Amino acid sequence: MSDASLPATSTVSLPAFRFSAAETIKHVVLILGSLIVLLPFYVMLSYSFKSPAEIMQNTGGFFGTQELFRDDYCIKLGRDAADCMVTPFIYNYTTAFEKAPLVRYLFNGVVVTASIFFIQVLVALPCAYALAKLRFWGREAVFGLVLFCLLIPVHAIALPLYIMLAKLGLTNTYAALVIPWTISVFGIFLMRQFFMTVPDDLIDAARMDGMGEFSIIWNVMLPTAIPALLAFAIFSVVAHWNDYFWPRIVVTGDRSLFTPPLGLREFKGDADGDNFGPMMATATIIVAPLIVAFMIAQRRFIEGITLSGMK
Amino acid sequence: MQTTKAHWWFVGPALFLMVVILLMPIAIAGALSFTSYSLGNPGAEFVGLENYEKIFTRSTYEKMFGATFRYVFVVVPLSVGLGLGAALLINSTRRFGDLYKTIYFLPVMAALIAMAIVWEFAFHPTIGIVNSTLERGCGSVLEAWSWFARGCERGFPLWLTDRDYAIWTVAFIGVWQGFGFNMVLYLAGLTSVPRELYHAAEMDGAETAWDRFRLVTWPMLGPTTVFVVTISFIRSFQVFDTVEAFYPQGGGPSKSVYVMMFAIYEKAIQQNLMGIGSAITVVFLAFVMFLTLMQRWLVERRVHYT
Amino acid sequence: MTAISLSAIEKSFGTTPVLNGINLDIADGEFLTLVGPSGCGKSTLLRILAGLEAPSSGEVVIGGQTVNAVRPARRNLAMVFQSYALYPHLSVLQNMMTPLKLRDLSLAGRLPLLGPVLARAQYRAIVEQVRETAEILKIDHLLDRKPGQLSGGQRQRAALGRAMVRKPVAFLMDEPLSNLDAALRIHMRSELAELHRSLKTTFVYVTHDQAEALTMSDRMAVMMDGEILQLGAPHDVYNDPQDIRVAEFVGAPRINLLPGSLDNNGHARCGDIVLSRAATAGAVGSVSIGLRPEHLSLCEKGTPEALSGQVVHKENLGADIYLHVSVLNGSQRLVVRVAPHEGQGASFGQTVHIMREHGQALVFGKDRKRLDLKTAGTGNVAEVA
Repeated sequence: MSDASLPATSTVSLPAFRFSAAETIKHVVLILGSLIVLLPFYVMLSYSFKSPAEIMQNTGGFFGTQELFRDDYCIKLGRDAADCMVTPFIYNYTTAFEKAPLVRYLFNGVVVTASIFFIQVLVALPCAYALAKLRFWGREAVFGLVLFCLLIPVHAIALPLYIMLAKLGLTNTYAALVIPWTISVFGIFLMRQFFMTVPDDLIDAARMDGMGEFSIIWNVMLPTAIPALLAFAIFSVVAHWNDYFWPRIVVTGDRSLFTPPLGLREFKGDADGDNFGPMMATATIIVAPLIVAFMIAQRRFIEGITLSGMK
Repeated sequence: MQTTKAHWWFVGPALFLMVVILLMPIAIAGALSFTSYSLGNPGAEFVGLENYEKIFTRSTYEKMFGATFRYVFVVVPLSVGLGLGAALLINSTRRFGDLYKTIYFLPVMAALIAMAIVWEFAFHPTIGIVNSTLERGCGSVLEAWSWFARGCERGFPLWLTDRDYAIWTVAFIGVWQGFGFNMVLYLAGLTSVPRELYHAAEMDGAETAWDRFRLVTWPMLGPTTVFVVTISFIRSFQVFDTVEAFYPQGGGPSKSVYVMMFAIYEKAIQQNLMGIGSAITVVFLAFVMFLTLMQRWLVERRVHYT
Repeated sequence: MTAISLSAIEKSFGTTPVLNGINLDIADGEFLTLVGPSGCGKSTLLRILAGLEAPSSGEVVIGGQTVNAVRPARRNLAMVFQSYALYPHLSVLQNMMTPLKLRDLSLAGRLPLLGPVLARAQYRAIVEQVRETAEILKIDHLLDRKPGQLSGGQRQRAALGRAMVRKPVAFLMDEPLSNLDAALRIHMRSELAELHRSLKTTFVYVTHDQAEALTMSDRMAVMMDGEILQLGAPHDVYNDPQDIRVAEFVGAPRINLLPGSLDNNGHARCGDIVLSRAATAGAVGSVSIGLRPEHLSLCEKGTPEALSGQVVHKENLGADIYLHVSVLNGSQRLVVRVAPHEGQGASFGQTVHIMREHGQALVFGKDRKRLDLKTAGTGNVAEVA
């Protein structure tokens, strides 16, 4: 008699041994699942520590033996063989930064995700406030439009957007990376739902205190919306840091505009056998910020990512 | 209040962007789908329904629909089912629930393109961890399984480059990446099921876990399921990163992984065939919008209890 | 005849004790109320009886059988929950059919779509039974509705119906009226009591509302801090509370308590007041003297043993007026029930004089237990009492 659907704390008297047997089976299943889920993360981390030989022969355990090996590229540069002996771990990570402008990619990633989020809030917040708290002609129509636009995934209309940007000569610019995401109908919808729960009295009180509508938004509504905003920030940052499809389309060739996913893809494109280690190091560096942030603020992240479930 | 026009300042920018960024492209895609437009050419020729005709008749696009639907109809049921299963298991264990939740959610956070590259390594026929692990099972009882025995004899499959396996392998990665998201949604759904309903079910004689699931859990998760299924559909329709990472040219062995987003990318961006690309875009949008409208209809009609 | 008996029930959640050795025998056909403030363990006790919770130790006996290891459904009890716990996706008919289906039908018969065909006769019998019950509760016209389409009172009835169809040996009710509005709650009290009389089945009813306990039950058990402080008929519990906590909990407005002391002869005193009846046992020292509002009345100035004070608040309930009077130099407050014509004239700050009805005072010792008072023959005190 397993107890899958009853909450754990409810205690229906059952013989204890059966319970633990069921419990054990559950954990076995969950652990097997965890192993499969973690497999690529294990591979990624492990390879980023290993020398090319260890990767090829699949030896060295998780961390590799960290034995020195000869860096052929260094020999090619005509240096002495003794100077070209490197520790795999250090070699992988330094190569990741040296061979490709990884710092530049990371910088681009930060600039793009940050500006997207900033503009999204700048546009969505006032609109959400107006839709939630102001009465004006056409409000229902605007909200209807928001609901309709929720149906459109931006990736799906990437092609016409690309054509528009190409016509404007904006491809291969930061603008191209940011513009399609400046409007987040989801953000408007979310904030509106949140503002609906803010009592009208608060706004009336602010008006009585002599605040204008603009300062109400930034001084009254914004602070009350911080929790929702934070969740939305996580939602937005995760989506755009990880996005590959859109940058792939609008950035062609110009490496100085590459976002981290594009940079990694480029790395893969010209990877030969020796570069597996550095490539995995790059992947680790790109994946790490979000994973680490997620580990630290788990609840907030899950809340933010599953926000779309509130609809 | 009555004299202020502030609201147009508030709504204006959003309205403008919505029209320009979301609505205009749909119109453009719709218009271009009837032409043979390509970037750099001054004029575009009107070709009528030719593009659509191609999409629904040519074997390339037959393969495209085949690959897309195969992918979608593997990923959606599996990622929803596994998400629900994981949520129920985690919810019913007394310990380590949070740990499992964290682990299963990791793939959702990781950049899919990075993980695709890692999976490519893991599935590598000679140095990949998957096949080397499978080889270790040779000589054990697993050989009783004929598929496994064949693998030991002639080598395990080339997961990503064998026509018979490629789409399923890509779908597996889709499931791997997506089910944690569904799990979290289901966990949220489970916490909102009133405890007293389980107690009522217990009093009414629902003695087995299955009875309680049928009577309480599953119906109460109805709204969550509708949402989870829809979002899984939309996400899996949009699969691109893995396909592009594995098969930058051509969409996999015999085009068996030629999914729609990749087709749009290849036709329009790589080959500058904007007309046909737009037509695929329109068809794609139709699918996605149909699914979302269906979801809204379901939410409002069937699963709305109170 | 004892229908249900709970003996030495203990329960703790982690290290927090919730129930400390409860003994309770419930007679067949009785309406027994468990009443107490929130957190006193009354709901836990009910859930242990239902089988939804396992006791840490102790025995639950139903109809002569120990049922500790029996699953809730097999105990043949029915429960009405505070939130009604109706299945929101099922119609009232289906809700009421559920316990019968789970009890009477095989696994095949419960299959969706196919089930009704396979077990046609049984289905018809079940529907028939549900209809009968629905008619008794006057909800037969609501059978096709979903719980979401019902009003609070209708949901309440549907929940009752689901409990009734099984013809259980006892009904367990966990604050079933607390989600209803005030008027409906009072109406449902009498309806539940009537239902109990016509069904002649045991009711075990949990509430935090002492008025519900007083109005409906045959016997009530006042619980506090995981113990039953007093068990008895409502009349006895109200008039003869054995513990100061019971006296305070039962009765609205609350009983007035004045600090006093017990003299060497066993007479309780508070200011000028000396009770004529003397305690037969109990240590000399400080006590509390309890006076119910209805045992106090206004009197003329100069009446012996009267307390004087200022009116600080007036509660007009129409039929009665409760005057709150600050007495003993403002250190205590007494609530006095007066007739409307008496109270009408009273204004705030006005000085009034209060006397008590003799023989009604309740005296509680330092251990919170009631002190037994006897009319003693010591004449000098008798004259003032």
